Amino acid sequence: MASFVPTSPDTLEDQRLYTRARLTEVACLDCLAKVGVKKNSEHHTSIQWNDEARRQCPEFSRMDQRPEGRPVHVGCPRLVDSIETAAREGLIPIGAEDGY
Amino acid sequence: MSDTRFLDKGKPPERFARGWHCLGLESAFADGKPHGIEAFGGKLVVWQDSQGKLNALDGYCRHMGGDLTQGTVKGDEIACPFHDWRWGGDGKCKAIPYARRVPLRARTQKYPVEIRNGQVMVWHDAEGSAPDLDILPPELPGVGTDAYTDWTWEVLDVPTAHCREIIDNVVDMAHFFYIHFAFPTSFRNVFEGHVATQFMESKGRPDMGGSGYGDADLVLKSEASYYGPSYMINWLWVDYKGFETEVILINCHIPTSDNSFKLQYGLVVKKPEGVDEETAQYIGKRYSDTFKQGFEQDVHIWLNKAPVQNPLLCEEDGPVYQLRRWYEQFYVDKADVTAEMTDRFEFEVDTTKANEYWQEEVAENLRRKAAEDASSPESSDDVAPDSAMTGT
Repeated sequence: MASFVPTSPDTLEDQRLYTRARLTEVACLDCLAKVGVKKNSEHHTSIQWNDEARRQCPEFSRMDQRPEGRPVHVGCPRLVDSIETAAREGLIPIGAEDGY
Repeated sequence: MSDTRFLDKGKPPERFARGWHCLGLESAFADGKPHGIEAFGGKLVVWQDSQGKLNALDGYCRHMGGDLTQGTVKGDEIACPFHDWRWGGDGKCKAIPYARRVPLRARTQKYPVEIRNGQVMVWHDAEGSAPDLDILPPELPGVGTDAYTDWTWEVLDVPTAHCREIIDNVVDMAHFFYIHFAFPTSFRNVFEGHVATQFMESKGRPDMGGSGYGDADLVLKSEASYYGPSYMINWLWVDYKGFETEVILINCHIPTSDNSFKLQYGLVVKKPEGVDEETAQYIGKRYSDTFKQGFEQDVHIWLNKAPVQNPLLCEEDGPVYQLRRWYEQFYVDKADVTAEMTDRFEFEVDTTKANEYWQEEVAENLRRKAAEDASSPESSDDVAPDSAMTGT
């Protein structure tokens, strides 16, 4: 059930393009997490996790245990390394396609 | 078929978000009087009982619709000004002074209340679920003690926009340059569960110093998280001419209809060492005045823009579709919340190109200004800048 209702079917296609298109699966080199990655440039990165991947990440589990600090983690450094490696190896296409 | 892009205005949702909504500072309600709060398409009555506990009910008496916000607190109950029916904080009618007995069905809509960081939170859910205490915003250590200034609190009315407009700002990197006159030098988002966060670093625009906005001496680090649909905690570290200040800003809102909301914000400042009490409170007030400008800049845009269901994005834009997917979880039945809405999503935008263009634009503005021999901006060595930006 959608709450904000689009009036055009094209909007649903836009939603799909911007949230799902061009996601490349990247496996973490240090754990069993697999995430979807999109890169519009060297530095620009989108990372889509799912529940399974989130559970696999020992870094986040460790951070979750830490009593101090805020509960929002910027990112997992091991996954960032894995993504950089994959990008260097040409496994992640870099560059946007008409804004998505 | 034309190639012209269609602006899909969509339709706003027919319900209000599920979650905790902040009504304001606890101290504002602690006077033994009923308070009327416009919210969720109607009006709530809020009052403090003899135990000091705050209660919130629907503002209209279930008897003949009298306005309870114009009633009187009698004992622990709110008494209707029309026929003196007495309503308790649990939503039950406790007494009708002229009647032999109270009808069994005399129960009204109650809004569970919790106090967080000296602020009043009410739970709203169109499905009528029990309040979820696990997703209350976090306690702020030290706030409410002598280490921080007292909360400031302001309310801005936004009479013709859906509150999703303010949510969209979480991902809107570029508006910080155009609306708030700052360079965002680093910009990230993380959405996970019921929390959506923006991490940003920025510098003021030197070409805007003269008009009271933006300040080249201002370096800002900001972490801003929405805990649920309407309550953001924004941790700000402001470096102004080497003077560092830690500010915690609450940016929250109450939806009042499907096309209006009340924006509320309040802040505390960590008292700098060697600064006396009066000066510390003054710094807090100055920040509040400054942030007011920022919020008013946003409000001006919202009141004039069209709602857009299908934003057209360029590659430097933030993840507005993913943010809205996250926001959707508060507008569907709990059973209809999908994994996609709550799964972790991370985003880091490349600000390099944007900042190159913006630096050129600013340099050109400065050159033009110099050529026009404009009067130099007033300089101030005050500890609080004339303009500082928030994560909104």
